[in-house]
Amino acid sequence: MHNVVIVGGGPAGLSAAIAAAAAGAPVLLIDSNPRLGGQYWRLPTENFGDQHNQHFDLDTGLMLINAVNARKEIEILNGAQIWSATHKDGINTLRVIQNGVEKIINTKNLILCTGAYDRALPFPGWDIPGVMTPGGVQSLLKGHAVLAGKRVVVAGSGPFLLPVATGVVKAGGEVVELLEANKSSRWLLSPFVMLENVSKLKEAFYYIKVISQAKVRARFGQAVIAAHKGSDGNLASVDIATVKRSLKIKKIRNVKCNVAAIGWGFTADTSLAGALGCKQRVAKDGGVVVAADENQQSSISGVFVAGEITGIGGAELSMAEGVIAGLSAAKFVGCKVEILKSHRKRRAKKQRFADALIKSYPVKSGWLTWLSDQTLICRCEEVTVANLEYAIDELGATDSRTAKLLTRCGMGLCQGRVCGRSVVDLVASKLKISATDIDRFSAVNRPIISPIPLGLLAKGE
Amino acid sequence: MSQYNLEFTFDGEKVNAITGQSIGAALLADNQRTLRKTRFNQSERGVFCGIGICFDCLVVVDGITNQRACLIEVKAGMNIQTQQGSNA
Repeated sequence: MHNVVIVGGGPAGLSAAIAAAAAGAPVLLIDSNPRLGGQYWRLPTENFGDQHNQHFDLDTGLMLINAVNARKEIEILNGAQIWSATHKDGINTLRVIQNGVEKIINTKNLILCTGAYDRALPFPGWDIPGVMTPGGVQSLLKGHAVLAGKRVVVAGSGPFLLPVATGVVKAGGEVVELLEANKSSRWLLSPFVMLENVSKLKEAFYYIKVISQAKVRARFGQAVIAAHKGSDGNLASVDIATVKRSLKIKKIRNVKCNVAAIGWGFTADTSLAGALGCKQRVAKDGGVVVAADENQQSSISGVFVAGEITGIGGAELSMAEGVIAGLSAAKFVGCKVEILKSHRKRRAKKQRFADALIKSYPVKSGWLTWLSDQTLICRCEEVTVANLEYAIDELGATDSRTAKLLTRCGMGLCQGRVCGRSVVDLVASKLKISATDIDRFSAVNRPIISPIPLGLLAKGE
Repeated sequence: MSQYNLEFTFDGEKVNAITGQSIGAALLADNQRTLRKTRFNQSERGVFCGIGICFDCLVVVDGITNQRACLIEVKAGMNIQTQQGSNA
């Protein structure tokens, strides 16, 4: 029997591995991190002691990780970067680098659980050291027991800001501002979702309790719109604006801090699925995700997808999808196993919660009004708003792909992972047109999944 | 939390760290926020995404450029340098 190959060791990948192995399929689990758990259950090495302090539900994660480690049918390839993936004649070929050595894996059966990363919006000064993503601040706490700085502003939009602020407080930092751009009352738009997802409500109350004990008051309808550096070149203060629902600025104040953790939800990491040719779609929040059928199968037969890459929805939805993907893949390789009604019901419930999230935390286009001519859009290639305007006004670019080619915007080392989405919105707004799905797909698809040194390939291992 | 158990250098200065930390985490714990200067504007950059996505925390590790400080585990005796431009 062929292996079921799973990429990603977070909530979706772990759940898929256990489901597939329990159904009798041998599993190869490939993870880029040195330790399983993904970003959600990011764990440091053992010598850091108990980590429950930095997690709301670490026990579920430890249970899954231990179960994966205990199963003989699951082989784990960790610290492994996939740099290239191709699909031809029903075979998926993954080129993986682990400890400087390349391995080539051919498989008919894949489950992609490649997760998501913070969505960062550009603003004047967002490249100053000290401006970070909330996920970055959290990964330092969870993975390395390091507080990014003493005075932290947490801002942007989405429920993820709460655990990040909680983590900072628990590590002894001061959350000087906790700013949610949207109004909390937007949850009233989805009245039944909270009642059927009590675990989420409990989680939110836990964070609010910790945060209020530290005398931090969350402010709604406010956002960080500019950052300023001190004489040492590092972050010294941020401008905080009261914003309208559109995100347009009403009034501004300045606050001193040495870290600003700013995030606007998440962007699915669809690079691998895109390279294989899995059909993508644009989600309601404007992000590109991978299309999946009711069995978590992508448009490619035998390639299944689960977790954040099918739509941002959090760890619980990822686990529900992971189980179904694991069972589907096991079935695909010939195991006698069925997806139960209860599996689908669980996924549907978590999906309703994910839909409510998008409704409650929209990111309106008013952020475009925060930018000045000299604001960097592409951090890697140092491309400014003015450079993009020149490409449009003087060089005749009429879509984001052309603007990108003319300016190198999104063509640096991160390959547009950070700015790609914003460039599409910015160029469309300058041209006074709506961005097309093709614009959005081309901003996230890249031939090289993870940049690697050319010398490694030249060695021909 | 456990105590510092290894030492490395950043631009020649000694920095303490704990086994298992990334270079970026250990440097932030030492309040070193600027890890490189960009190649066009020579502006300061540090850890941004923290998970290997953004390539902003590039440093020179034992003479090798373009290394992501947020991903590489720090080792005793490592010689880390601020990356100036692309250092090519």
